[in-house]
Order: sequence, then structure tokens, then C-alpha cells
Amino acid sequence: MLGSFALLTLTYGQSSNGFQRGVSTIFSPLQTVADRALKPARDLVDWFDETFEARGENERLRAQLQEEREMAVAGQVALQENAQLRELLEFDRGPVLASSAYESLTARVVVRSPTIWHSTVTIDVGSDDGVRVWDPVVSGDGLVGRISSVEGGAAQVMMLTDPASSIGAKVVPEGVQGLVRPEIGDFEELVLDFIDSTQRVHQGQDVVTSGWRAQGHASHFPQGLPIGEVTRASVEEQEARQRVYLRPYADLRDLDFVQVLTGGSR
Amino acid sequence: MILTPKIVARIVAIVLVGVLLQLSFFSRVDLFHVSPDVLPALVVVLGLLGGSMTGAVVGFSIGFLVDCLLVQPLGAGSLVLLGSGYLAGMFRERFEFHGLLVPALLCMGLTLFAELGYAAVELLLGVDAPVSLLVIRDLLLKSVYAFFLGGAIYLGVRRVLRPALVVEPKAPRERQASILGAG
Repeated sequence: MLGSFALLTLTYGQSSNGFQRGVSTIFSPLQTVADRALKPARDLVDWFDETFEARGENERLRAQLQEEREMAVAGQVALQENAQLRELLEFDRGPVLASSAYESLTARVVVRSPTIWHSTVTIDVGSDDGVRVWDPVVSGDGLVGRISSVEGGAAQVMMLTDPASSIGAKVVPEGVQGLVRPEIGDFEELVLDFIDSTQRVHQGQDVVTSGWRAQGHASHFPQGLPIGEVTRASVEEQEARQRVYLRPYADLRDLDFVQVLTGGSR
Repeated sequence: MILTPKIVARIVAIVLVGVLLQLSFFSRVDLFHVSPDVLPALVVVLGLLGGSMTGAVVGFSIGFLVDCLLVQPLGAGSLVLLGSGYLAGMFRERFEFHGLLVPALLCMGLTLFAELGYAAVELLLGVDAPVSLLVIRDLLLKSVYAFFLGGAIYLGVRRVLRPALVVEPKAPRERQASILGAG
């Protein structure tokens, strides 16, 4: 018990230390092998779980599909208009340019933390591949989190649902800014906190990274990375607590592959 | 339990396999939105088979290893798993049990203890985010999973450590005294 308390006292608040990185480096090949070997078994369990869920979601998805079809048509029209407007206005690619400085690196998720109090995953690329702390991590659907520590051949990703995660974001198209933070234990909903209570946010709006730049400093995240969709935005909540709730686009409970955005402005 | 170098090596192997299985398999499957946590159950089983000292040492080691592998703050996992292993060992030293129900129930109870303990340590150290009520669902379902997995883990680990287990011979049945010619 004394040992436990000593470890807690000495190491709490530090992101990592050399000893932990050493142990993690030694075990990372074993973890990669175990991850690949156990993939079929994981898929089987997931299949059972998803079958249970699919029954309830069927009706909701039908309604959503109809809505999405209408939006897709509207989106096509908007794309045409957008292309024309870009030519007309000589579109300032400032924020897009910042994001294009990043290169994506595909990584396999090999380990996930068993506790909800630390929402991290370990991936099989590290500093040898050019990954650095604070690099953004995305899946095909949206932002997953950021690199929190890195070793030679592996890195830890702090997901959006980790208690220490806090990311500058804005609601589009209104531009209401806030911080995306988790509620511990809830993997399906995040909080957009500290928003401007004089502006209204509505259900269904998209939330993306704000990617701010000011006085020579810049966010670690490029502007415009999709984070999620607003699910609850009651007027009372916005006025009293300055917050709305969003569903992350990325399925943070079921990640096999992610992309690390390396080489951006830090 | 008689601890020889071979048995210690087997325990180390069980711990490594258990940790790898937890991080690569159990943590990554979701049943009703909650991942099973077999590590407290593994510590409880080793405490039940080896006693309080074995349970405490194994608990500390597993917590330390997991914290190292996940690059998390050291100490919290070690502390709560040490407690679970020690309590399981104390139970074994004070009470006699047969069958699988007792290990399964202990796995469930002490998993709940470990999860509550971990939550308490994290809250005492301070967390930067609000806590959802879904934490309660996580605690309860993890305990239920531990009940079902605990029996299987107990059988598996007992089989691997069988050569080291001290099995008390069953007392011969006392023959009823009879009086010749009676009846």
C-alpha cells in the first residue's frame, strides 16, 4: 500500500515517464500480435451486441435515411454553387492551407484502456514514423482525439472522451465557439461548453474544430475537422449553463484504424 | 499454495496473458455499451487460491503493469487491485468454500469494490470533467460480467496451478457404532 501511495504521489500529473515508456515499448509487439489474433473473437462479440441494438435502431434509421436523401440533393446543389462562388470570390484558402500542411498516417489501434476514467487507446505508430505529442487523430468519420504520449513504435491517443480532453470547437454555420469536453462514462455524447449564451445553437448543427490562430500562437488542431452533431440544445441549458450536447461522429467505442495528422503547425 | 520457481513462473504467465487479453480483447468489446474488466476477477481468483499475500502482490503487479502499458498515472490501479487481492486471500484463509458459486460471487463483489475504489481515487485526485450517471451502469455491468467470467477464470487458473495447491484430504467417514445383537 505504501508503494501504491508513493507511486501516486510521485507520478500523478505527469503525462508519462521513461520507465512507463520503456515497459510500453517492450510490450508493444506482443500487443500488436494479440490484437490481430483476437480480432475474429472481438468481431463475434460485437456482432451479438450490434444485433441487439439494430432492432431498436431500424425505425429511427429509416426516418433518418429519408431526411438524409433530401439533404444529399440539397448538398449537391450547394456544391455546385460553392465551386462557382470560389471562382468568383478568389477564395481565401487561409484555414484550408493550414490543414493541408498535415500529412495523414494510418495506424492500427492495438490496445484500449479498460477504465472509463482514462479514455485512451494505443496505436502501432510512434516517433519513428514522425508522430509527435499533440498530433490530431481522426477516423473516417471525424475527430478521435490527440496524441498524448509517444514512443518509438507506438503512441497513446487521448480520446475526446478522456476527462483531460478539451478541444476548441465551433458550431457551423453560425460560428458559436466553445470547448468540447466529455462527461465521464458517456461515450455517446459530448458537451460543447462555455458557448456564447446570446447566440442560439440548434439541434442537428455540425460542430467542427475551431483551429484558432492569435498573436503568433495556433491551435494544435486544424480548422474544420468534424467533431459531431448537436443532439440537445435547449434554450434553458444554453442560457443557464452555456452548453449544448453533441454526438461524436467517430465511433469511439469501436476503433480499429485511425489516421494521425502529422507535420502540422505546432 | 506452495510457491516454487515453476509455480511463480506460471503465475507470471497467467498475469501476462490476463493483462494482454484484457487490453487487446475485453477492453475492445462492448456488451450493452460496457466492456468487461477481467483483471479484478483474475486478482480475486489468485487471492483465493494463493492467500492474502499472493493476492496482494499479484494485485499490485497487475495494476502497475496496466498503468505502465497505458502510460497512465501510476499507483491508483495498483492500490485498488492490491486491496481486492488481499481481501480475497483473507476470505480464503478464514472461510472454507466449495463449488463455483463463492468464487463467482466474490469476483462480482470485489470487482465492484475495485471499480468503486478506482473511481474514488480518481475523484479524490480531481477530474477535470463532469461525471455522467452512466458511470453507475458501467460499475454494475462490469460486476455482473465478473460474476459470469469469474467462475471460468477460477476453473482455468486452478487447473494451471493445480500442482501447487494444498488440498486437504477428506476426513474418513465415521462408522456408526453399533451394538452387536441390538435391534
